[in-house]
Amino acid sequence: MANMTLLKAINHTLDQQMEKDDNVVVYGEDVGYEGGVFRVTAGLQKKYGKDRVFDTPIAEAAIVGGGIGMAMNGLRPVAEIQFSGFMFPAYNQIAVHAARMRNRSRGKYTVPMVIRMPYGGGVRALEHHSESLETLFAHLPGLKLVIPSTPYDAKGLLTAAIQDNDPVIFMEPKRIYRAFKQDVPEEEYSIPLGKAKIVQEGDDITVVAWGAMMREAHKATESLKEDGISVELIDLRTISPMDSDTVVESVKKTGRFVVVHEAVRTLGIGAELISRVNEEAFFHLEAHPTRITSPDITVPLPKGEHHYMLDSKRIAREIKKVATFE
Amino acid sequence: MINFKFADIGEGIHEGVILKWHYEVGDEVKEGETMVVVETDKVNAEIPAPEDGILKEKGAEVGEEIKVGETLAVIDDGSGEEQEEGAGEEAEETPDKKEKKDEKEEDKDEDRKSSKEKQADEEEEEAGASVVGTVETGSEVLPASDEHTMKKEKPDKKKGKALATPVARKMAKDHGVDINKIDGTGPAGRVMKEDIKKAAEGAKMKEAAPASAAERPSMPEIAEEGTRREKISKLRQTIVRAMDRSNQLIPATTVMDEFDVSELAKFRKEQQGLADDQDTKLTYLPFIIKAVVLALKEYPKLNASFDHESEEIVYKDYYNIGIAVDTPDGLIVPNIKNADKKSILELSKDVERLASAARERKTEMKDLRHTTFSITNYGAFGAKLGTPVINHPEVAILGMGAITKKPVVIDDEITVRHMFPISLTVDHRIIDGGDAGRFMVKLKTYLDDPMLLLLS
Amino acid sequence: MIFDTYDCGKKKMFGIIDNDGKVIDKDYEPDIDKETLVNMYKTMVLARVADVKALQYQRQGRMLTFAPVQGQEACQVGPMAATDKKDWLVTAFREQAAMLYKGMTLKQGYLYWYGHERGSQFDEGVKITPVNVPIGSQINHAAGIAYASKIKKKGEVVVSYIGDGGTSHGEFHEGMNFGAVQKVPMITIIQNNQYAISTPRKLQSAAETLAQKAGSYGIPGIQVDGNDVLAMYAATKEAVERARKGEGVSLIEAVTYRLGPHTTSDDPSLYRSEEEVNEWRERDPIPRFKKYLTNKKLWNKDKEEKLQEETKKFVADTFKEVEKSELASVDEVYDHTYETLPPYLKKQKETYLKYLEDTKDEDKKESEGK
Repeated sequence: MANMTLLKAINHTLDQQMEKDDNVVVYGEDVGYEGGVFRVTAGLQKKYGKDRVFDTPIAEAAIVGGGIGMAMNGLRPVAEIQFSGFMFPAYNQIAVHAARMRNRSRGKYTVPMVIRMPYGGGVRALEHHSESLETLFAHLPGLKLVIPSTPYDAKGLLTAAIQDNDPVIFMEPKRIYRAFKQDVPEEEYSIPLGKAKIVQEGDDITVVAWGAMMREAHKATESLKEDGISVELIDLRTISPMDSDTVVESVKKTGRFVVVHEAVRTLGIGAELISRVNEEAFFHLEAHPTRITSPDITVPLPKGEHHYMLDSKRIAREIKKVATFE
Repeated sequence: MINFKFADIGEGIHEGVILKWHYEVGDEVKEGETMVVVETDKVNAEIPAPEDGILKEKGAEVGEEIKVGETLAVIDDGSGEEQEEGAGEEAEETPDKKEKKDEKEEDKDEDRKSSKEKQADEEEEEAGASVVGTVETGSEVLPASDEHTMKKEKPDKKKGKALATPVARKMAKDHGVDINKIDGTGPAGRVMKEDIKKAAEGAKMKEAAPASAAERPSMPEIAEEGTRREKISKLRQTIVRAMDRSNQLIPATTVMDEFDVSELAKFRKEQQGLADDQDTKLTYLPFIIKAVVLALKEYPKLNASFDHESEEIVYKDYYNIGIAVDTPDGLIVPNIKNADKKSILELSKDVERLASAARERKTEMKDLRHTTFSITNYGAFGAKLGTPVINHPEVAILGMGAITKKPVVIDDEITVRHMFPISLTVDHRIIDGGDAGRFMVKLKTYLDDPMLLLLS
Repeated sequence: MIFDTYDCGKKKMFGIIDNDGKVIDKDYEPDIDKETLVNMYKTMVLARVADVKALQYQRQGRMLTFAPVQGQEACQVGPMAATDKKDWLVTAFREQAAMLYKGMTLKQGYLYWYGHERGSQFDEGVKITPVNVPIGSQINHAAGIAYASKIKKKGEVVVSYIGDGGTSHGEFHEGMNFGAVQKVPMITIIQNNQYAISTPRKLQSAAETLAQKAGSYGIPGIQVDGNDVLAMYAATKEAVERARKGEGVSLIEAVTYRLGPHTTSDDPSLYRSEEEVNEWRERDPIPRFKKYLTNKKLWNKDKEEKLQEETKKFVADTFKEVEKSELASVDEVYDHTYETLPPYLKKQKETYLKYLEDTKDEDKKESEGK
């Protein structure tokens, strides 16, 4: 057992899985020698050699497309897209091939691949380094999408993702890469994909969040205790396939529902969750299901980013409105 | 004067150790030239001077530690006013200082190592690398999880809340009916519109008076000339509804008496000093509350509610005493929760707190709910006798009149005593004159003798 | 012609002055008027000082992430001096020197890296595209801009920049290919500064030179000493003339070196040696150009001192101005999403403004309480 940051937990998991299965290869831009611009893959090339851990040219389509080929031919690639904002050149390969190869070949060819990418804002970065693009992946049948919020979950989910025989997008909330540590067991373990986690039980209102927003939602939940509001806080963890059952059961208990995400509002994952809650828990609702999101604008540069990002105070305020609605 | 702070140079560091100063206090420094070298986890950072000027003060000496956000140097640039530089927005990003400090205590020995040795540490990762932007580095530790060892799922708890469409819920609200109390006849026990209509009519029939809040007799004509209309506030609307309800449902009757509280008056005056130390003003009210609660324990019916639908008396084992507070907008009655578990000084403080919050219109929902017995003090305005109105669903209310010195006959002699007029209004459906009288006597016993009050 | 003599197939690198500013190729020494020469030098110095200061400011916590151009001033200023005002500059993200020469103000440059979109609002008539972060995609834009100029007979030429790493990207290939096939008036300059973050040039491509990629598009390509501002000028001038005559795309590989880190949050000591950096410092473009100008009696020690002093002051004053700038307003972050805000977005903006209004007292109390 050791206290690890989210980043270290990922590094440790890659190491553990590479040791266990020598078909696992890890690669991307600056991933090999330098160990990644965030040092997520540090030490791996030294340990496993250049064949299994390597630097690629700047070519996202090649990174993903190449990975698809590797996967079709027996490897289990873990490819890195340096920032989620740069996944667009690779989107063609992701949507058209990774997501469809199994279906197209009737199961003869599959893509047991993981595509890792740091995502999310609040890091005062240049343009294009702060996006939250879950929706673009969740909308593709054949693809899975996972977003951890703690070091413990990161290891469990990444282990499951690497061992999954379908393509998994593993989005890493870079804002909290090093923000805190957690005890991560040394032994191998996995957390099943498609399973949300009730982080905190409560009676008055169900709140769902994921990624870096979990921390903000949690802070909001704590502050609401003073107002006598008991929140049931759920970490969605897997966006696709979504565990809406856990969410729906919770709403049936509390009667109130709020979802928080930093992705833009329109067609964000919140819209999907609210639809499902309406479909399956309609008669239990005592207040309108609500989403707390960033606005539908391009993420501003650092000096304007505060207008886009959500903070725990604002989240608490909005949750309270729904919780006290009569 | 420039107060130059040590900044996180983008590598996510928290602190550093001064390696070398290139200048001494009193030296002239030039903007852009390296002023000091600070050793950090990652690099030996050469920090350039922010402005031309004279180095007035060093924030730390060679070998000493300096934390991000602390002053690294004070430079006199001849500008006169105090300016802060460095750190800037970075300061917002430094993690919880307290937790950092605790960790630092343990790691004191670690800090003495050079950065190279630290890199040899297994645990040490390259903090701060990010190539674009700033990634926060914190030392907070989350609670551990054991999810992967858990076998079975915990069974879900079910809560007894009604199933209903939003339209039905609104309908129930409009009819003033609690939807959670209605038996639903729809699929899976869902409450249907018919169920709500029936419940609303049923409630109406059970009431003594035919008129519900929505069906008051119409207003007779009032000549418009010489009149001025004023729309009532939300609070006043609430009071109107509450008083209507009380009036419709409760046949109220009031018993009155005058208590000799001379001993209490003396005691209160003597103890004011003690109360001052506790920062609270000792009025009669905390004593009354305590006496009331003791009396209620012996006559629990006055602390109960009457459920006229099920025809049951609902006894309560908690004592939330409502205190009527007069505010510019109207009467608000917040309550002191579990008053039986509080001392007189604590009650005094609670009264002050609730009263001032009420006057500022900052009373919280939770303070207004679940009152079991209320007290109103019209004596504060000089009145002596009154017939207070019960706050439904309580079944009694105590009214306090003004305490005055009066001539009283004791042992056939006339003496001057402090006399305290008290009125007790009760719900005559479940509380008879006898109960009310006995309660009053009990109350009198406690108020007569402060020592007994304190010892009980 | 330079492009013939130094055609990439011949494996010769084009240069005019050596490290000491001495002319080694008299044939191609360009005839540039005194004023322009001095202006070129001054811009290179400004870019260098602004760069060095930006890194310092970052270390002081006053500046955010910044991509320095140290060492690459010549391959940016040279080509800009060879173009006209009506021509375009299409940038990647490491072209601050070129942008300064072309008409961006230092304040705008600093504002951008400081975190304001305002920094990309160049003056009227200044035809520079905003900093482009997704690698390689600017080449497709450049090809398009050039295509429009061609069919509208505007006579404009487009100079686009890309790094050695960028040439690996599909977008480089697609843009070059399209531009070449359509014979657009485009010049692509590869700033081969030897590194793409930590990835060395040889891991980017197995080709011996990047210039030889021109062959696959059927266009001329040459390799130039990127630290030789005159060579960069001359090569670009020839390419510009080609383009204006309608002869199409040219590829110039400027061999240079990234003296600074990839960005201020990068630590190059992890992947390259001090020796290598020092070797390239000997070939620094600014001192050798200074020597050339001094030899030509256009520059001297006094002028140098004066320029350094003026430049340092100008940079410091400009940065102070930038530091005083306010945070982005709500209008700024919402209003450029569309030409006019659609109703749903207008509503979101209003809700947010109301939220700010409702909570401004809370924030005030908090900051007063601090």
